[in-house]
Amino acid sequence: MSLTMSLYLPIAGNSVNCLAIFGLGGVVGLLSGIFGVGGGFLMTPLLIMMGIPPTVAAASDSNQIVGASTSGTLAHFRHGNVDIKMGLLLLIGGIVGGTVGVQIIAILRQMGNADFLISITYVLMLGFVGGYMFLESLQAMRKSSRPEVADASPKRESLYAKMIRIMPLQVDFHRSGIRLSLLMPFCLGILVGVLAAIMGVGGGFIMVPVMVYLLRMPMHVVVGTSLFQILFTCMNVTVMQAAQNHTVDFILALLLLLGSAIGAQFGTKIGKKLGGEHLKILLASLVLIVMFKMLYDLLAMPDVLLAYAGGH
Amino acid sequence: MQTIFSPHAKRLLLAAVLLVLPALAAASTTEGLTVTPANIVMGAQYNGLDLKVNGTVPAGSEVIVRLTGAPSTLHLREKGKVFGLVWMNVGKVTLNNVPKICLITASSPLELLGKAAAPFRLEALVKGIGIEKDGGDPSVDISHQLLLLKTKEKLYGEAAQGVTLGPNEGGVRSFTAVIKVPSAISPGEYQVEAIALHNETVTGHSSATIKAELIGFPKWLSELAFQHSLLYGVMATVVAIFSGLVIGLVFQSKGAH
Repeated sequence: MSLTMSLYLPIAGNSVNCLAIFGLGGVVGLLSGIFGVGGGFLMTPLLIMMGIPPTVAAASDSNQIVGASTSGTLAHFRHGNVDIKMGLLLLIGGIVGGTVGVQIIAILRQMGNADFLISITYVLMLGFVGGYMFLESLQAMRKSSRPEVADASPKRESLYAKMIRIMPLQVDFHRSGIRLSLLMPFCLGILVGVLAAIMGVGGGFIMVPVMVYLLRMPMHVVVGTSLFQILFTCMNVTVMQAAQNHTVDFILALLLLLGSAIGAQFGTKIGKKLGGEHLKILLASLVLIVMFKMLYDLLAMPDVLLAYAGGH
Repeated sequence: MQTIFSPHAKRLLLAAVLLVLPALAAASTTEGLTVTPANIVMGAQYNGLDLKVNGTVPAGSEVIVRLTGAPSTLHLREKGKVFGLVWMNVGKVTLNNVPKICLITASSPLELLGKAAAPFRLEALVKGIGIEKDGGDPSVDISHQLLLLKTKEKLYGEAAQGVTLGPNEGGVRSFTAVIKVPSAISPGEYQVEAIALHNETVTGHSSATIKAELIGFPKWLSELAFQHSLLYGVMATVVAIFSGLVIGLVFQSKGAH
């Protein structure tokens, strides 16, 4: 008896090996669970390498992220690591920013060279976010390994902290244990939404550093809240892509989902065991690897000078 | 698919070939082709297949067999170097009359079959494609780049010695060709052609049409995605959420402590 593991995907227009897709979903789901990122920036290029058209890869990936982030959000919610109030504010800001970002992209495309700006934004954002997180975490880990020296002088409040404190509409975010103006997550949500729309990703890898460094949320709440926000963003993307572009391959998404939802569960457990600084330095490394890969793709001559319209 | 021609039908087909392919003015015979399977059925387990083509050609002939898809329009981006440093999309290219697939196999290496084989090769195929450029580098050979792109996707290819020839008997010789059809083909009609060549002359040309069609679950899913796209998008989202919840709950019960 021969058991074939290949499955024909009618929307992708190709057949795939079920085990390979399941495994890919598992690995990316693991990272998603550990870091609270959707994994789109990793999954989509890998699917393209497996012969899935770029537009179908990106849209189907959004579909699987809906499932993976549902599972991840549920796991984090059970551990009390989802700040729903913060997540909703970021989400509303993200939707506003996403709409603005889509318009910006439309204008840039009319002007030409939009793809160049997209790629440069990608490399700069990934480089900045990854580099900053990496160096900051490294410093924090070095400090914690040294014996504590008593600091007699009182800590001075930074300008940024003062600015946060004097902003109007201050609210307590109990789950995160912080007090902030409602405007902060809303405006930062807009910023991330604009960048995510320009870059064509869910925005998890920008949202996580924003929550850590600008909203000053604890790392474990950041991960759960980020997944919560990504869930809604990707629901919107899936429905829009399916309705307008017919690029969501439901079967491909289900296969990826099965792997990634299971991977996300393990990822969440691993994330709990790792310290906040370890999490940050690992995510920073991942972001920097993707940044170097993109930089290489920009600088190295491609094998073929033609590409299908639609992907970045 | 078996196409057994009556003498009258053969004469009609020959007249048609002579009409549309002036280069084949020397063609003398049109033989029937047997293509197995007769149609490409794309069910859930479809993973490409070997298409067997049998037929006869005039004695002493070499044979080229090719599978081509219906021509369509392609919208592509041309990559170029910006600021002498980075490779980016620098222009738009619209290509008309591009066959989705073109797989060629022959009884001898195609280079050895001489000038008569040239019109049936990939280079000739891409030269007949209409190119509209908007921006980009004028010196880039778009036809050649298209060939590279399609070859990379395994949708275009030339394979030498994929045709097995039988002995010359009674003025004809039989042949069997195997074409490896990739999984990445679209539903639609495809042409299978057999071209007989002898002494740098086309001595025969026959063709058959085969159909690639979706069946079963892939067909249902494809119809849902293209004809009821909003419903399909909502269904994909709901199933993803439900699956995520089920997996989450399974892990909760297993991991409870």
